[in-house]
Amino acid sequence: MGNQSLEIAQALPPGAARCPQEPSTQDIIARDRVAAPAWVRCESYEFLGDEDISIDRYIDPAFAKREFDTLWNRTWQFACREEHIPEVGDYYVYDIGRHSFIVTRVAKDDVRAYYNACLHRGTKLRPSGTDGCASEFQCSFHGWSWHLDGSLKESVCAWDFPHVDAGKFSLPQAKVERLAGFVFINMDHGAPALAEYFGPEFMAHINEWGLENRYIYCHVVKKIPANWKLNMEAFMEAYHVIHTHPQVAVSNADANSQYDIYGEHVNRFISSLGVLSPHLRGQYTEQDILDQFTIGDSSMLGGADRTLAPGETARQRMADIMRVMFEQGTNTDLSGVSDAELLDCFSYTLFPNTFLFPGISLPMVYRFRPDRDDHRKSIYEVFFLRPLPVDGIRPEPVETVYLDDDQSFTEAEGMDPGFGAILDQDTDNLLLQQEGLEASAKPGITLGNYQEIRVRHFERAIDKYLQGGA
Amino acid sequence: MQANFTRFCKLDEVPPGGKKALKINETWVLVCNVKSNVTDRLFAVSGICSHQFKPLFNGRVRNCRITCPVHGARFDLETGAALDLPATKPIAVYEVRVVDDWIEVKI
Repeated sequence: MGNQSLEIAQALPPGAARCPQEPSTQDIIARDRVAAPAWVRCESYEFLGDEDISIDRYIDPAFAKREFDTLWNRTWQFACREEHIPEVGDYYVYDIGRHSFIVTRVAKDDVRAYYNACLHRGTKLRPSGTDGCASEFQCSFHGWSWHLDGSLKESVCAWDFPHVDAGKFSLPQAKVERLAGFVFINMDHGAPALAEYFGPEFMAHINEWGLENRYIYCHVVKKIPANWKLNMEAFMEAYHVIHTHPQVAVSNADANSQYDIYGEHVNRFISSLGVLSPHLRGQYTEQDILDQFTIGDSSMLGGADRTLAPGETARQRMADIMRVMFEQGTNTDLSGVSDAELLDCFSYTLFPNTFLFPGISLPMVYRFRPDRDDHRKSIYEVFFLRPLPVDGIRPEPVETVYLDDDQSFTEAEGMDPGFGAILDQDTDNLLLQQEGLEASAKPGITLGNYQEIRVRHFERAIDKYLQGGA
Repeated sequence: MQANFTRFCKLDEVPPGGKKALKINETWVLVCNVKSNVTDRLFAVSGICSHQFKPLFNGRVRNCRITCPVHGARFDLETGAALDLPATKPIAVYEVRVVDDWIEVKI
């Protein structure tokens, strides 16, 4: 990838260059024994310009305030999973900035999100960071209470409040929509419907995944010393893999990963696994690739034969192993799942703050939120979702693990230590990046046209909201 | 006063996933039969929330924690520790055992 490659790239239209002399992601997937579905076998890249991205968005507290004023109150956000609130009366408290919502199931198919504040003198009706079950929402201060449907149940000493019209004292609500087992909320009652917000391409994808038939088996939360957008952008490209995760690069087609954008609010990459990084061409054998393969839950692979036959590829063996071992280990049926879905890293960003990974080996959901008081800090959550057992009994979601600021992800109960080490490598860069941007003499960051298109696409949406659009 | 094991109820009256509250010597005791990803065992705790002394009987139990249905405070069933506001004080926890298909609580 020397001067000759650069000259070829410069002769192409901007954004058209791809990793030279390497198969594309689509080429890799097309060789798989169990063919990938249509949502995998498509591309949707668009060149969005090559200007620098201003750094004030990461380092200026006034920018963070504008985000709270114009973005967080107008966007659809993943508040909880339906499995958090399976029964009528179950609730889950979701906070974003100063806002807090009680997301509760009012009836079998009726989920609502109430602003979490008593209408009398404002006390939170439920503590942040909790979930539970209630027959009513009663304030702990004076005892005013509301029915599950949000209507006022009792104002204590009603004789002293003749000016309170009970009919107008229902708990205010945010908009709620449910999709694939996720509950999304939006404070903007004029916001487009969720399907319109995400757009038809993504809706076609998610409707194929069956994420409603998964359950949370690991949930880890850690505060990260960096702006929430830096935190998110650390996970938007595979460009960093060769340098930040050298142990992964041996079995990751990093430089030839695929990047796509869908409308204004969704983008993705597909990063193939079980394939050598183009950066390491000629340095490793197929057996090396198999030996260094990292997945989200390596306990599933215990005891598998990892010795390749002559001519056999690491990728195909890994797919075959995983199909059998995951089915046995998790009591699930993967017969209809393609090799790519089993192996590869599919990473979708749902603007503003959620990543979905619909694959099997890396079955995560990420959620990022800004710290309400400090633009230099953010909250990073990792959920692991497993397919439901074939017996149909849905396990309860696990208890959330909260890591201290200086704790390693490898210490998180339920998380594969090898995967935790990767997250440590990702997040260890972030304080240096935050501080570096604050120290920089350069007013913008410079992005690759292809491998960093998700960052540009994401920041373009940020700008639209802050400018009053979108 | 020295604590002794006292018969609470028959084991089959608190099936896995169930709970039952009874008064023993003027003290409300809540026995929870927890069957979860984490554990599969009986817990005996105070039946009254330490926050505003409301009954915990109808609280949801998940992952060895009970949530007060009235104001949402959560408690660790193993230690009794208060995990969230509005509670700041623990609830009592009691030794529990099964003898001859009877649940017994040390109180």
